[in-house]
Amino acid sequence: MTKKRKISLSEEELVRALRNREKIAIEALYDMYSSSLYGVISRIIIDTATAEDLLQETFVKIWHSFSAYSSEKGRLFTWMVNVARNLAIDKLRSKDFKNQNKNQELENNVTFIDEQRNTVYNPELLGVKELVGKLKPEQRLILDLVYFKGYTHVEASDELGIPLGTIKTRLRMAIIELRKYFKED
Amino acid sequence: MEDIKAYIESGILELYVLGDVTPEEKRQVEEMAAKHPAIKAELGEIERLMELYAEANAVEPAANLRERILNSIVTNYADDSTFDEQSEYPVSRVTSITPAKVYAFYKYAFAACLVLLLVSIAGLVSMYNRLQESNSQIASLQLNNQHFVGIVNLKDEELEVLQDASFKFLKLNGTPKAPQAQLTVAWSPVKKKVWINMRTLNMPANDAEHQYQLWALVGGKPVDLGVFDKTADTTDMKEMKSTALADAFAVTLEPRGGSASPTMDKMMVIGKF
Repeated sequence: MTKKRKISLSEEELVRALRNREKIAIEALYDMYSSSLYGVISRIIIDTATAEDLLQETFVKIWHSFSAYSSEKGRLFTWMVNVARNLAIDKLRSKDFKNQNKNQELENNVTFIDEQRNTVYNPELLGVKELVGKLKPEQRLILDLVYFKGYTHVEASDELGIPLGTIKTRLRMAIIELRKYFKED
Repeated sequence: MEDIKAYIESGILELYVLGDVTPEEKRQVEEMAAKHPAIKAELGEIERLMELYAEANAVEPAANLRERILNSIVTNYADDSTFDEQSEYPVSRVTSITPAKVYAFYKYAFAACLVLLLVSIAGLVSMYNRLQESNSQIASLQLNNQHFVGIVNLKDEELEVLQDASFKFLKLNGTPKAPQAQLTVAWSPVKKKVWINMRTLNMPANDAEHQYQLWALVGGKPVDLGVFDKTADTTDMKEMKSTALADAFAVTLEPRGGSASPTMDKMMVIGKF
């Protein structure tokens, strides 16, 4: 990937540094993951100021509750992206946020996705268009609804009028396509 | 082995990685992963792919955000060694900023609306008062107008009498009882109309119990032509009852309302053709 990395550690080193509360770990964590996490947050929360606040909250929470993470249960990023997404979804569903963002009602989100993606795509990431082309639209839609828009698969099923089983199958197919794509990489 | 493959194909592992499972499903997946290395490997693969997918969809946050976020963590870093439990404080501090601004905006917007409403009400009240004023002016002007129309009509009739050739004018002169008394009568036998010219009336003002009465003498008999008053400001012509025949006209002073026959000793003026 063409990402600029100021400080980069292996995942094991990073986890160990975080566990030892080393300052350098915070910087490495930010440099390695801020854009990936922000990519998720800024798709759930459109408002830039709120999304930036949420990114800050995410890092603060990762730092403070790092003891809750165990490498036994999975990759560091999986845990972090779930922290970020849960914060963003809590925000999205909080009363005060709903009041000020009437235009982000759930039913509008599906049509938002395509428009949004065109504008927020990081132009530095060359492979993205190709990647998007690899996934079938219905696979990408479900993957993005759940991964980037904070839908549960039950909500996505209701929203799209597609049976739960089909939702799961399409998610599975999307992963298989991703695997093919990243293998070629 | 078939079971494991079907389990992998079901899509539950993807949902697990996405954090979209119930606590029970979560426990189940973790149990399966502990038992079957193939499932554990698949989970790792899904995690890796999702991480790559997130990286491919990464959005670079604003450059100044790095400083801000690192500082906010480092600021709390010193506290951590002593107050590890206070991990929630920075979180609540961050969230409260944006909504506060929005509420402030609505507060000002509401205040502005209120001010506008008060100004509008004041404006309406003043407009209403002016409208009332204008209405009363119009009413008084209409009253004036009616008054003038009345005057013009009367003057028209007077002019008609004066210009009409069929009218005869007779000057009634004072009797010995009232030598100074005078009155001009205009009579048109054709139109059977009788007018008296109050301007030429020269008689003492009558009191509240008495009125002057005009008589026509027809074949020696008096015919009542109506009553009138003499007051200081009566200057118009006045139309009396009609008669086609008259040899003479006379005025007597009678009790208010007039009498059936004239009181001869109260005769003021008389004139004959």
